[in-house]
Amino acid sequence: MSRATWRGLAGGLVLLALWEGVVRGLGIAPWILPPPSGILATTWTVRGALLDAGAMTLFEATAGYGIGAVLGIALAMLLALATPLRKLVLPMVVAVNSVPVAAYAPLALLWFGTGALSKIIMVAFIVGFTVFLNTLDGLLRVDPAAVALLRSFGAGRLGVLWRLRVPSALPAMLVGLRVSTVRSMIVAIVTEMLGSQKGLGWTIFEAVLQIDFLRVWAAILVASLISLGFFAAVGALERRVVFWR
Amino acid sequence: MTNAADQLDQLLTVGEAPAARTKLQLRGVSRRFGAVQALAKVDLGIAEGEFVTLIGPSGCGKSTLFNIVAGLLEADPGGEVLLDGAPASLLGKVAFMPQRDLLLPWRNVLDNAILAAEVEGRPKREARELARAMAADFGLKGFENHYPQQLSGGMRQRVALMRTFLFDRDLMLLDEPFGALDALTRAMMQRWLLDIWSRYRRTILFITHDIDEAIFLGDRVVVMSARPGSIKLERRIDLPRPRDPALLTTPAFNAIKRELLDAVEEESMKTFASGAA
Ligand SMILES: Nc1ncnc2c1ncn2[C@@H]1O[C@H](COP(=O)(O)OP(=O)(O)O)[C@@H](O)[C@H]1O
Ligand SMILES: [Mg+2]
Repeated sequence: MSRATWRGLAGGLVLLALWEGVVRGLGIAPWILPPPSGILATTWTVRGALLDAGAMTLFEATAGYGIGAVLGIALAMLLALATPLRKLVLPMVVAVNSVPVAAYAPLALLWFGTGALSKIIMVAFIVGFTVFLNTLDGLLRVDPAAVALLRSFGAGRLGVLWRLRVPSALPAMLVGLRVSTVRSMIVAIVTEMLGSQKGLGWTIFEAVLQIDFLRVWAAILVASLISLGFFAAVGALERRVVFWR
Repeated sequence: MTNAADQLDQLLTVGEAPAARTKLQLRGVSRRFGAVQALAKVDLGIAEGEFVTLIGPSGCGKSTLFNIVAGLLEADPGGEVLLDGAPASLLGKVAFMPQRDLLLPWRNVLDNAILAAEVEGRPKREARELARAMAADFGLKGFENHYPQQLSGGMRQRVALMRTFLFDRDLMLLDEPFGALDALTRAMMQRWLLDIWSRYRRTILFITHDIDEAIFLGDRVVVMSARPGSIKLERRIDLPRPRDPALLTTPAFNAIKRELLDAVEEESMKTFASGAA
């Protein structure tokens, strides 16, 4: 592990110790803010249910992520090639994208039910936009002189796309993919809270109704860990793919 | 490997004694950008195998002329660009090296060098073999797998030149290839280029803003006028080849230089006076 990772880990531990100390020292009620030790203990007791819920949410998030990423990248490449179509479609995409996510969730539940499908579609939607906009920006932001060089070698639009635009767009595309990891988890959880019988969002919602705040915190802990892992995995991929930066 | 060696031989094969066949002929080539007349009636002929250097004040339209010859830009109606005596669509017909090296950071030295060959549809493996065989000539032996970020300015320029040579065209356009290099590296690169040129015989049109460089390299120096650019003066350089740096201090060299300096300075002063420099 790198030095930054160790430093982050050490910082986290100090923070947890501080949290524990403050909660105990001031005698804060557990339903306002439980101590980390309490959260960890509860997490351990309900680990079976949390693992199932976590697996469900992770499945929805990654399935939606995969679909959204593929569609976003494909659409970006298509619109990078077809300029007139881009001028028509792009303003609409930007308009739709500027509406807050959660606003669409009830519609997704209405149309696609309270099962995994509505979550996957919501996630795909959000990830798709993010990846699409980032990738398109990267595809269009190439050095015109490099385009001219490739054309002087006899390259056509596809040749320029493949040999120049796509590789130059990789950094922007991977930034989009990296920030999308956390967004995909957020969207899956929020949509679960609004309607489902499974997953971490549903666990949190149910625990709130039962006034079981330790279980709420335990679910948040699991969600955060999964989110962190997903983010770190794509971050590692990014460093491998974009090795020249 | 023998295959690559054969192809390298082919690249190195010198044609028969340079016949005076015209490779490139420009007649009345003009170009206007909105209100700016960049080129006005340029007439220029280049013989096969000739090394022509083009010099002129900055902004006089040298790069514009190159873009027209490379087929990247249309000349205004009325002008003619003839390659091998015939009007042709020029894209993909001449080996063009732009002012910046434009190496792709995700490709190593070999893969940058074969970019043009790859665009032509030549199999990658075959092109790589050929590039590997050429690496020594271009001072890149041992650096085949380095990335551009890891190279010095002179080496990057040699990779770009190798890419241009590997795009096997009779006519090469080099736009100030050594403009960004320090004086020592530049002098070394000039001698090296002459050596390479004498072995991989090509027709070269070379832009520079350095008079010494223009005379040292060229069979002929062409001076362009201040904008709107046209050909102000042509001077044959009959200094013997192979040329070495001692040439730069000979009276013959200095006589040519004095003659050209007058013309170039006159044009630079025009540019300066018009506030364009
Ligand atoms: N694409 C373009 N659009 C508008 N003006 C241009 C364009 N390209 C070149 N010019 C103008 O044409 C003139 C000649 O430019 P250029 O050929 O680059 O000169 P040089 O290479 O000799 O320095 C300059 O005044 C420049 O501003
Ligand atoms: Mg220029």
